[in-house]
Amino acid sequence: MPAYRNVRLCGKDCLCLYVCPTGATDTENSIIDVAKCIPGCMACVDACPSSAISMLPDKYPPPQIKMDTVIMAQRVLGQSKVQQEKIAETIATLSDSPVTRQFAKAIAKSNRCMAEDILREAGYMLPQSTKVRKLIEILIENAPAGFPKDAAELLLNKLQKIVV
Amino acid sequence: MRKFKCSICGYVYDEAAGIPEKGIAPETKWENLSDKFICPTCTAPKMAFQLLNEAPDQTTVLSTDNSNKFIETIAELSAGEISAICSSLAKGCEKQRLTEEMDSFKKLADYFKIKTTPIQQNTTLHDIIKMLEKDLNQSFSVANKAAKANADRGAQRSLMWSEKVSTMTKSLLERFTKEGDLMLKNTNVYVCDICGLITIGDTPPDVCPVCKVPNFKITKIERD
Ligand code: SF4
Ligand code: SF4
Ligand SMILES: [Zn+2]
Ligand SMILES: [Zn+2]
Repeated sequence: MPAYRNVRLCGKDCLCLYVCPTGATDTENSIIDVAKCIPGCMACVDACPSSAISMLPDKYPPPQIKMDTVIMAQRVLGQSKVQQEKIAETIATLSDSPVTRQFAKAIAKSNRCMAEDILREAGYMLPQSTKVRKLIEILIENAPAGFPKDAAELLLNKLQKIVV
Repeated sequence: MRKFKCSICGYVYDEAAGIPEKGIAPETKWENLSDKFICPTCTAPKMAFQLLNEAPDQTTVLSTDNSNKFIETIAELSAGEISAICSSLAKGCEKQRLTEEMDSFKKLADYFKIKTTPIQQNTTLHDIIKMLEKDLNQSFSVANKAAKANADRGAQRSLMWSEKVSTMTKSLLERFTKEGDLMLKNTNVYVCDICGLITIGDTPPDVCPVCKVPNFKITKIERD
């Protein structure tokens, strides 16, 4: 459980610098040095007057089970949003009008946000979950041409399995 | 005297009260408000408002029989879906400070984005309106029902946000069909990074009217 500082909340009051036994909080880019941080120490979390530091969990419990009807209904919408994104992107590259291109770009971005959120709620919330691992495994097995296999394999190796 | 509620942020226009500080006198009827009327709190256009009390309960009006058949025919994940799943997992990794994993999910997301079935070159914004109609008239109510029946709060939350965002986009698109580029000519376009809400205005809202995130998470879309 390493500490993590939310730079946006940090008021640079520097109490964490005084209490950290290893100097992990004292970095020029404000990101706490995970290599130096003592797991479970929490001294900086307690000291910070701005509540800017929290401990990142090492393990995650298995996520809520999703029902098939929910998954299917979310996917119908997710697909629709992905297609709308694609249409908007096409217009954003092909239109002659800069204003239309700008509006289409906004619509594309908006649809990506919605598709991500809707499909996350179809059971793909947690990167470490069994369902996500399965998806990556299937992708590797059926790897189409040009598929970034290295990236997929890195994910299988690095993402911790959930212990049930 | 009637009341009209903004379907995006919940603001209520009361005919009896008007909005004197915006130059709208008390007792101004809804139909006498200009078509340019926008929600004073979230800038949603006039058509995003619904008459209070008479708001149709879409979940009971729409039959789900056909729609259920429709969703059963979808089996495998499409490239587009995989892309969105991977880009959302990349964000999940970013929150956990897993940089390498984030980059890998991004690579997968980009790969499948390119693989997404290309759209015919003659598509127009009108095609998006048609898809939004289907989402709003059918798919959202099916999904809402399923999420409610299974007490899936996460799914319900995602549907509530994106239904509002879709309503806003649809009304902006309808306005754009009428007004064309003029609609945006002298103003800015913003998109919320979290829920995707599109807002039009000179400045971004302080907090997103839909998901309530502060505006450092709201992105200005540049004109190039
Ligand atoms: S104690 Fe908190 S506010 Fe002060 S420098 Fe450390 S993180 Fe920032
Ligand atoms: S948890 Fe302890 S070791 Fe880690 S940064 Fe905070 S004070 Fe330093
Ligand atoms: Zn509003
Ligand atoms: Zn938002």
